[in-house]
Amino acid sequence: MNCEEARTQFVDYWRGTLEDPVGEFRGHLDSCERCQAEANELRDLWGTLGALPEEDPSLDLRVRFYDSLRAWRQRESERRKGWWWIRHPAFQAASAAAILVIGVATGYFMRGRDTSEVSQLRGEVYNMRQLVALSLLQQQNASDRLRGVNYAYRVEQSDPQVLSALLTTLDHDSNVNVRLAAVDAVRNFTDSPVGRRGLVQALAKQDSPLVQIAILDQIVELHEKSAVSAIQFLLSGQDVNPDVRQRAQWALKQLQ
Amino acid sequence: MQAVRDGDLGGLAILFERHHRPLFNYFVHVNGNRDLSEDLVQDVFFRMLKYRKSYQPDRSFTAWMYQIARNAHVDSIGKRKFEVALGEKEFASGNKMDENLKRKQEITLLKRAMSLLPLEKRELLVLTRYQNLKYEEIASILGCEVGAVKVRVYRAVRALGEIYFELAGEKAS
Repeated sequence: MNCEEARTQFVDYWRGTLEDPVGEFRGHLDSCERCQAEANELRDLWGTLGALPEEDPSLDLRVRFYDSLRAWRQRESERRKGWWWIRHPAFQAASAAAILVIGVATGYFMRGRDTSEVSQLRGEVYNMRQLVALSLLQQQNASDRLRGVNYAYRVEQSDPQVLSALLTTLDHDSNVNVRLAAVDAVRNFTDSPVGRRGLVQALAKQDSPLVQIAILDQIVELHEKSAVSAIQFLLSGQDVNPDVRQRAQWALKQLQ
Repeated sequence: MQAVRDGDLGGLAILFERHHRPLFNYFVHVNGNRDLSEDLVQDVFFRMLKYRKSYQPDRSFTAWMYQIARNAHVDSIGKRKFEVALGEKEFASGNKMDENLKRKQEITLLKRAMSLLPLEKRELLVLTRYQNLKYEEIASILGCEVGAVKVRVYRAVRALGEIYFELAGEKAS
């Protein structure tokens, strides 16, 4: 046993609760003068500490305690009296039935409100989507504009404002990826003559072969015969990309 | 306490009669203020009622009670920000001992040394020496191992000794 271990036993030693079956502690104390001196010095202090007089609380403490306990019990019993019925099985069954009736009635009445409030809400959500799509399409950042194009899928196909914004993007956006996405998005609007015409007109304005091929594919898919002259105009150009030329010729064949 | 927990509020009176005096002494030795200590004793018993459902019968009642007492004391420090003044006057009223002058001086000096000890050490000495709590109970109150309690009690006694002998030296010189 070292000094540190021995010192943690001091209090047990003074209290008489020391468990020292093999006499390790006593052996250490006999052999270590420092621990012995410290144990004796602090033992006197420990003894004096125990001699500090006990204090008696005033009678007032007892009076206050019993007053408060009485008040507490009174409150408790009033609380129990007031709420006994809440634990009664009849009350619990009645509340369950009442909750069921309220639930069914609420559902029934809410059904009638669907046409007015819900449709108004739908309208608001739609306007919000339209606003988001339009504002994203005008952003400086290409990835924002791309998000705007993707947002355009969420608006109704008949929305002229969004269609117009998409066609402007298709004609003038500086980023090829945005224009390609716009070609795909316009497909949603091809029920509208404006959408089909816009797509055909965009063909002449493109300088990217990728976008040109995408538009040609779309025209063929729609079987848009009015595009023949536009395709012929494209083929008449001097510096047409060979792939585009090949695709345009194939498109012409498909449309005839 | 189990009876109180199960709704017998009258059982609290028995607990009060059995424990209010040691509890009062615990507070007086820790904060040195009789009035505040009486308030805290009252507070502890009503916290017992309020939190009676948290009492676990397999745990020492004394340890549970002193844990509540410690919390009540910590809350009171937060509210009042009082300075511990464990002076001679505070204890003089209860001192009915018939001792010789030297013993009285020793006791006075020791009270002074106790008042200069940091709160956690003072609290530990009060629980071990006056309340005679077992190490296991103190470990349960403080939420630590028994071995750690032994080390902390030794350090508290030693810290008290250092202050006491320094004060004794000042007085002698």
